Amino acid sequence: MVNFFKRMRKLKTILNIRIGPGAAILPTAASATKEFPAITRFHLTYASKIYGGHQGARHFWRNCLPRLKYHNPSIPITVRQTTDQEGPAALTVYFSEQPSNAASLLAAKITDKHAPKPSSTEQSVILDVKNLEYKDIWKKVQNITGAQEVAATAEELNQLAKLEEMSQRAVKDRERNAAIRQAKADHARMLAEAKGEVEKLKQI
Amino acid sequence: MASSSSLLPSVARGILSSCRPALRPGSMAPFLSGFQQVRPASQARGKKDSTAKKGKKGPREFKQGNLKDLEQFALCDAMRYLRAFEVGREPTVSKYEVHIRMKTRRDGPVIRNMLRFPHSVQTESRICVVCPPGTRIEKEARAAGAVLVGEQEVFDAVKAGKIEFDRCICHPDSLDALNKAGLGRVLGPRGLMPSLKTGTVVEDVASRVEMLRGGTIYRERDAVIRVPIGQLAFSPEQLRDNLRATIDQIKKDAAGLNDRITKEVYEVVLSSTNGPGFSLNGEFKSDNSPDIAVLQGV
Repeated sequence: MVNFFKRMRKLKTILNIRIGPGAAILPTAASATKEFPAITRFHLTYASKIYGGHQGARHFWRNCLPRLKYHNPSIPITVRQTTDQEGPAALTVYFSEQPSNAASLLAAKITDKHAPKPSSTEQSVILDVKNLEYKDIWKKVQNITGAQEVAATAEELNQLAKLEEMSQRAVKDRERNAAIRQAKADHARMLAEAKGEVEKLKQI
Repeated sequence: MASSSSLLPSVARGILSSCRPALRPGSMAPFLSGFQQVRPASQARGKKDSTAKKGKKGPREFKQGNLKDLEQFALCDAMRYLRAFEVGREPTVSKYEVHIRMKTRRDGPVIRNMLRFPHSVQTESRICVVCPPGTRIEKEARAAGAVLVGEQEVFDAVKAGKIEFDRCICHPDSLDALNKAGLGRVLGPRGLMPSLKTGTVVEDVASRVEMLRGGTIYRERDAVIRVPIGQLAFSPEQLRDNLRATIDQIKKDAAGLNDRITKEVYEVVLSSTNGPGFSLNGEFKSDNSPDIAVLQGV
């Protein structure tokens, strides 16, 4: 097994899942208001290659959805990757009872055949996320769901700064080590050359 | 000569100039000894170390870190993170896995066994049974959950390139027919060819099918046992039951090895197909872990 320090360093990625774009708490049945009804689930469909405007959707899955899932563990999120580049890149949001006003305004008139059908108590709204960057998609989602962003605590920001500092130091250390290795190799090469000359002289 | 030697480090240049007049082979011995003396100290020390090491074999035990350096998690917290890492993945593909670090010597026996979980990890393990058709064995195999049973129909399917099973077992009565059918070339590279050596030719087909369906093989490698222990959709209780069963069995294995050998569980790490490893602290849930009911399903 890898040693503790390497593992702990790697585990710092969980900090990235707690804070950043997508780290927000969605309205649940308990915290729902008239304006923003509760969210029951999400479904994302996009094509596997990035051309045709599917890049943002994929980045949204990579970056935002883990954070969303971490802060809203009870909300099922499904993702479907298709091979149909012409097909839709669509995010389906399921509201309980009825969608929020913002959602019905922003709803796109596309269909996503991979999205599960809303149940009798749900209503779904499809967002067209083609040709959008993932941060824009996240803003859209925030607008229609009324998600409350989770602010990073001072301690988390501290840790983040520390990690940043470490990665900068790593660049410097890599350079220094490369220089040392190069010097060693040069030295060895020169010694070998010198030895070669001795051999030649011996043969004369 | 002069131009090339000017590129050399001063030490080497010194040597060259000193040996230049003496070109006879006989004079090489003093030259070599002189050369060794002027080598940098670090190299000389390195050589001494390497000769000293030859007799020694290194530490007897695997090096263990101090668990106090480690951030450890309750099961529910680790699950919450892992479920976030696995978001959007196929729920039948992504699995929880456990890495159990043992405290053990580098040499000596290793733990190797098979385990049945209270909650089956494999979503479906399709099993093929080769046995004489129309016998009691066939009925039993089907009852135990084998997907493909028979002789000729199995051979035909395999020859047609349709291998729709993950495990293949054979009854001794059908072994000759199997060998005659010449499937080794197809099944062999996939590790599906039944043979006595791998224990896939058995009399009691039914019980083996049962075992294969719920059983997982594990073994210790470099003091770590790695086993998949649950589907991502499992609830924390299901995962806890599986984890307990695993650790209990491993403890039993370790106890049953030999009187002189002590092996004990040192650390338990929960991980998943796409997630990092979380060292577990043995608690089920902590104060700020979410409700248990939400940590299951998709």
